[in-house]
Amino acid sequence: MAQNVRNVSQTEEVSSTRRVIAASSVGTLIEWYDFYIFGTLAKIISEQFFPKDNPTAALLATLATFAAGFVIRPFGALFFGRLGDLIGRKYTFLVTLVIMGGSTFAIGLVPGYKTIGFFAPAIVFILRLLQGLALGGEYGGAATYVAEHSPAGQRGFWTSFIQTTATLGLFLALGVILVVRQTLGVETFSDWGWRIPFILSALLVGVSVFIRMRMSESPMFVKMKKEGKTSANPLAESFKQKDNLKMVLIALLGATAGQGVVWYTGQFYALSFLQNACNVEFVQSNVIISIALLIGTPFFIVFGALSDKIGRKYIMMAGMLIAVISYKPIYQAMYDEAALKTKVEMVDKTTVETKEAVKGTDNVTTTVTKKTYEDGTTYKETVKLTVPIDLVKKAELAAADKLKPETKKEVTLPQNSYYKMIGFVLIQVIFVTMVYGPIAAFLVEIFPTRIRYTSMSLPYHIGNGVFGGLVPLISTRLVEATRPAPGLPPADPLAGLMYPILIASVSFVIGMLYISNKTNNMDVE
Amino acid sequence: MSAIKKMFGILWSLMGVGIIPLVIMQAMKEIAAKPSEENWIFWSIVIVVLMPIISFSLIIFGVFALKGEYDVLE
Repeated sequence: MAQNVRNVSQTEEVSSTRRVIAASSVGTLIEWYDFYIFGTLAKIISEQFFPKDNPTAALLATLATFAAGFVIRPFGALFFGRLGDLIGRKYTFLVTLVIMGGSTFAIGLVPGYKTIGFFAPAIVFILRLLQGLALGGEYGGAATYVAEHSPAGQRGFWTSFIQTTATLGLFLALGVILVVRQTLGVETFSDWGWRIPFILSALLVGVSVFIRMRMSESPMFVKMKKEGKTSANPLAESFKQKDNLKMVLIALLGATAGQGVVWYTGQFYALSFLQNACNVEFVQSNVIISIALLIGTPFFIVFGALSDKIGRKYIMMAGMLIAVISYKPIYQAMYDEAALKTKVEMVDKTTVETKEAVKGTDNVTTTVTKKTYEDGTTYKETVKLTVPIDLVKKAELAAADKLKPETKKEVTLPQNSYYKMIGFVLIQVIFVTMVYGPIAAFLVEIFPTRIRYTSMSLPYHIGNGVFGGLVPLISTRLVEATRPAPGLPPADPLAGLMYPILIASVSFVIGMLYISNKTNNMDVE
Repeated sequence: MSAIKKMFGILWSLMGVGIIPLVIMQAMKEIAAKPSEENWIFWSIVIVVLMPIISFSLIIFGVFALKGEYDVLE
């Protein structure tokens, strides 16, 4: 009889934890989706809202693309983390969800620069900042909420579901964009179709808010509040007290900084490398990343659960170490797989087509060269030269050396290379799952309940938003530095890996030396 | 292990201090060679956002490590 009662109670507990995980994860996934569609559509957004000939607007474009990741996410972590420790987890991350959904939806409705001028980039800039603030508050809340509902000894397993949401959010963003783009066609998509993924967010957020409204507050927070043990000033307690500050620093330098660069390299830099260094065609490169993300996602749960058995530290550190050692060979193999100079061209199949058209006040000459290679690779090069019809304007541009053609290179890989590329990206996604799967449980366990939301959010968002978020910018810059002259290929296309390798190496040494592996069964009180 | 942690503490602090002049000198060199808007934005982000975070966190972390604050975490 007693055994039956215990079994029923355990079943109810698991079922309740599952509901908590589902409700938290759906909301967090949608927040990541909202955040990533802006990044993925950054080029179209810059064309719609930021005119190239206005330097102030161009500056705003750059800041809007990066500011949320660099500066605002940690501020969101501080602001909402404090609220979460003062008034509760449930209401705080409900607010972040509404702010994120509202800003994303609004971006989809903002008229372009042609209609409202400078207000367009200014509004988009503010909305992007709001997105960053909301994201800064969301993750810590969701991870804390789930961890505080999870039974001791299974925290790695249950929180790993929250860890899947960032990758699934990226997958969802890429999927929605590809489907809308393929359905509407490239031109319509660039014209107005790009707004659909933003507007769709309102529906997703509406569903998620409905689910979250029905959730109860974290039991640990409720207990702490009843006992009057909540922190009066979580910010001061987190960062002014030595015992907490030292844990914030170790979490940042020994874990989240390395995790952040591995995360961004394995997913974002891999996509950028495929498109810019390997010139792999837009749809194919996105599909490669999407498939690798989908296959790799279950490993978040595998490593999260494993961390309950063997500890968080060695799984995260192993992920960083293997990433540091293998990044160069993996990226070299990706580069070689798409390199045309090692392939044999079927010259008789080469076609060259030139078209001339008048667009507004310009003459546009487009030359398309298509090549086929023996292994099935196809290469398309589009050279577009825009020359003003007005002779005076033409002479001015020629004098300023601005009459340069735009060149677009697209490599479409054959099936064999395509699968290999998925494999190369998948290996990197596995590294991501090793460093990222156990990290929520690790962060939750090193801080006390009264200041947990604030304390864990800041190192997480500095590690991911700043160290990780800077990977595309710094790595691209390092590659550009090896380019002998504009228009020529870079001397070292792998130079960009130096930044993630360096950060992950330092993080690995600090983590190995100073992080304890004995946190996995610690009681979260 | 405790001695190694403390010894590395000195290294982290020195790295934190050393990064500041290195980054500023590199920024000045690159901006002087090519004072483009791109260069200004890139180095502003590095100097205003990334460098202070790396530098100050390494310095404070190093001091804590040197004082043996992390010795209890085994």
